[in-house]
Amino acid sequence: MRRYLWAVAALLLATAALGVSACGDDDDGGGGGGGGGETGGSITVATTGLDNSDPVLFQTTQAVQAFQLAYVPLVTYAHEPGEDGSQVVPGLAEEVPEPTNGGKTYTFKLRDGLVYSDGTPVKASDFENTIKRLLVLGSGWSFFYSPVIEGTEEFQKKGDMKADISGIETNDNAGTIKVTLTEPDTKILFALAEPYAAPTPTAKSPGKKLKNPPPGVGPYILDIVDFNSKYVLKRNPEWSKMNIPGIPKGNFDTIVGAVQDNVTKMTQDVISGNADFMTEDPTGDQLPEVRAKYKDRLLEEVNPPNTYYFFLNVTLPPFDKLEARQAVNYAIDSNALVRVFGGRLAPSCNFLPPDIAGYAQNDCKYGDPSGKPDIAKAKQLVKDSGYEGEKVTVWTNNKDPRPAIADYYRDVLNEIGFEAETKTLDQQVYFEQIGRKSTKAQTGFTDWFQDYPHPGDFIESLLSTRALSSEVTFNQGFVSDKHVDSELDDLRGKDPEATTDQWHELDNYVVNDKAYVVPYGGEKSTSFFSERMDAQNCGAVHPVYKNDWLLFCKKG
Amino acid sequence: MATEPATEYSVERPAVFEEEARREGVEGMGPWRLALRRLRRNKIAIAFGVLFVLVVGACLAAPLWADDVAHTSPIKNHLSDTIVVDGKKTNVVSLDGVPIGPTWQGEFFLGADTNGRDTMVRLLYGGRNSLLIGTVAALITTLLAVLVGILAGYFRGFTDTVVSRSLDVIWAFPAVLLGVALGTALTLSGLNLGPIEISSRSKLIPILIIGFIYIPYMARPIRGQVLSLREKEFVEAARAQGAGPLRIMLSEILPNLSSTVVVFFPLMVANAILLEAALGFLGVGIPPPEPSWGNLIGDGVDHILSGPHLAIVPGVALVITVLALNVFGDGVRDAFDPRATIHLEH
Repeated sequence: MRRYLWAVAALLLATAALGVSACGDDDDGGGGGGGGGETGGSITVATTGLDNSDPVLFQTTQAVQAFQLAYVPLVTYAHEPGEDGSQVVPGLAEEVPEPTNGGKTYTFKLRDGLVYSDGTPVKASDFENTIKRLLVLGSGWSFFYSPVIEGTEEFQKKGDMKADISGIETNDNAGTIKVTLTEPDTKILFALAEPYAAPTPTAKSPGKKLKNPPPGVGPYILDIVDFNSKYVLKRNPEWSKMNIPGIPKGNFDTIVGAVQDNVTKMTQDVISGNADFMTEDPTGDQLPEVRAKYKDRLLEEVNPPNTYYFFLNVTLPPFDKLEARQAVNYAIDSNALVRVFGGRLAPSCNFLPPDIAGYAQNDCKYGDPSGKPDIAKAKQLVKDSGYEGEKVTVWTNNKDPRPAIADYYRDVLNEIGFEAETKTLDQQVYFEQIGRKSTKAQTGFTDWFQDYPHPGDFIESLLSTRALSSEVTFNQGFVSDKHVDSELDDLRGKDPEATTDQWHELDNYVVNDKAYVVPYGGEKSTSFFSERMDAQNCGAVHPVYKNDWLLFCKKG
Repeated sequence: MATEPATEYSVERPAVFEEEARREGVEGMGPWRLALRRLRRNKIAIAFGVLFVLVVGACLAAPLWADDVAHTSPIKNHLSDTIVVDGKKTNVVSLDGVPIGPTWQGEFFLGADTNGRDTMVRLLYGGRNSLLIGTVAALITTLLAVLVGILAGYFRGFTDTVVSRSLDVIWAFPAVLLGVALGTALTLSGLNLGPIEISSRSKLIPILIIGFIYIPYMARPIRGQVLSLREKEFVEAARAQGAGPLRIMLSEILPNLSSTVVVFFPLMVANAILLEAALGFLGVGIPPPEPSWGNLIGDGVDHILSGPHLAIVPGVALVITVLALNVFGDGVRDAFDPRATIHLEH
């Protein structure tokens, strides 16, 4: 009897111990920390990953969300959801300077006591080094700065990191940086607010691509554990000592980026709590399921303004002919693509997205985007172009639903008289490949999300001759049009709100008159959070970063 | 979806057929006729053989179904199209991206996929591709396995060592992993070996990969048999008559391997079809938009709730085909040697 009682007691104790351990920790996925709105702990973000380890070379939205936590530039975007997030506020500089010298000169003063995450003091000359790296490495963003900043064109021709950029004068002792432009340009502050313009230590930032990110100034330090599977953002111990106002320190000690291609698995991970957020949108079956069962942690809202389109390489057959380009515009059915997006596409015939300054509805020369395509006209135009039967490769990447988009596009091109097939690359290398002239990509999938709230971010970045100065360009159609360039030159120093008609005319020109691109709409994105995250209060979309991880919080 | 390691069989030499014939009271009947007689009596094997032939027939008839019944092609998108089902106009793919299920009528008999492509048409064309790749790969495996098996078994010594160790290296890798590694590399850039250039989109790529991977599975038992055959009196007699190694290998040894080959071949085809499906499922088989059963299953998995037919239908087709081949292959094995000893190697 006594042995029996001991056994029962032991069993009861063991059961109690198991019960306590099961209830004790509510962080089942991210590890560490507690709930209840307190700071600290860790969250996991499921993502397709960074497209580059070098902070001056990344291109994707997924990458900017991580890099902006570790690389604060001279000025930065307000960490506010919605439109307020478009405001440029002081970053490493004490204030956002007013232009002088007829709008051509901006003088920044670095805050005192700035140090990088490795403890190295920040020097004013480090900023010039960053701009040099952008130019020497042929970053896709280099045209934001060259020839905008005086002396950058000459520097690019030399291609030597030791050469000087005459339009950037720095004084390390005084901590001042004077940037002089070739002409007034209202976009420059936006360009300088991007994470790729953030200073990094000159000694650790040479003129070659870095396999590991250099130290930066930011609330977090970015550590790439394995480029294809994991990166970690951990708190920068130097950050809190510097007291930079207006930039949140973030609510978590660690943010783990779990890299994978499989969007289905990402969604499952967020549902189960193995991940707290995903940078992609649930697709396929899962979107209706998520909408029905988890609507309290799924936000669906108008994104940062964005445009989805097919690029047409105007330097290669068949799209060197206007008729061939027009044919494609007539043939595309936006309603079909709405289905591929699971209902999340808002059809449009504009290149500029709604909600951006300078937008006005186009004439939709190729038909109502909500209506039916004109296949007969498209076929005739292909015949007229002389390229009937021409072989065309449709490029795309492997992130859902891009393969399905490309397959639809291939089918349309075959229907109107081309011989098309698809070529799929990994998402992490895709944009770099199609942006190289040597790749000779004739046409394919692409998209653009607003980097800053200015129509030039779309038309100048994607359709100007200036954009071709980068070794890897975002002007994947390799468009070089004198009218576009001269209009952009004229609009550069002007307020876009006051020049809507001119921007509208340019939008009409590139789509309706010249068919340089085939826009089909804008994506309504989702932000999907795990159960423990406070999606409603801390998950709203940021107009530049899409999601600002510094604003994420757990439920209180 | 992993493929099992191929079963390794050890089949007794055809000389035993005389003994079997005597036991069955059909003395004087040759081994082939005897085997055929046994096979005909195996109703289950015959039934599954017929089933396999029906599957092949259906897949060969894919163009007929596509052109005359479904009026579409396997790669044609119908995203915005509508169809009348039970008198009601229905979207082939809804605005939410949900494809129509089986209509049981000519168009979209088994429904559509998320690009609005006809599932039945893709199933049949996918079967053509899977069967073609599986069969040709098995043929390549057989030819090369017989070649290296005979060379290794006959010459022994250094030749045997080199060949056997090479086979061991291939054997050491799990078939699916090796297939994925080779598939990933070759589907990106194609194959360029001197004057030989094969496009990354060519079906030859998965054929050559699968054909290569399975060589050791067949070459090793063949080598074992050749080691035994070369010691037989008829080989000694041929040598005594002045026959050289080539003549002996072709006229004495190769014919005695024929029953082994006949037994192994259907099983090789089954394994090759399974591996092709695995590679297609993992995205390193035939490149899209061409269908195969593997990539159809892979595409369907993401829509298992809204469109279960997308994954289930090609999955069932694959199971039926491989099962039919395996049962028929077992029947062939039993017909050639009812006392065959089976060795499974991992």
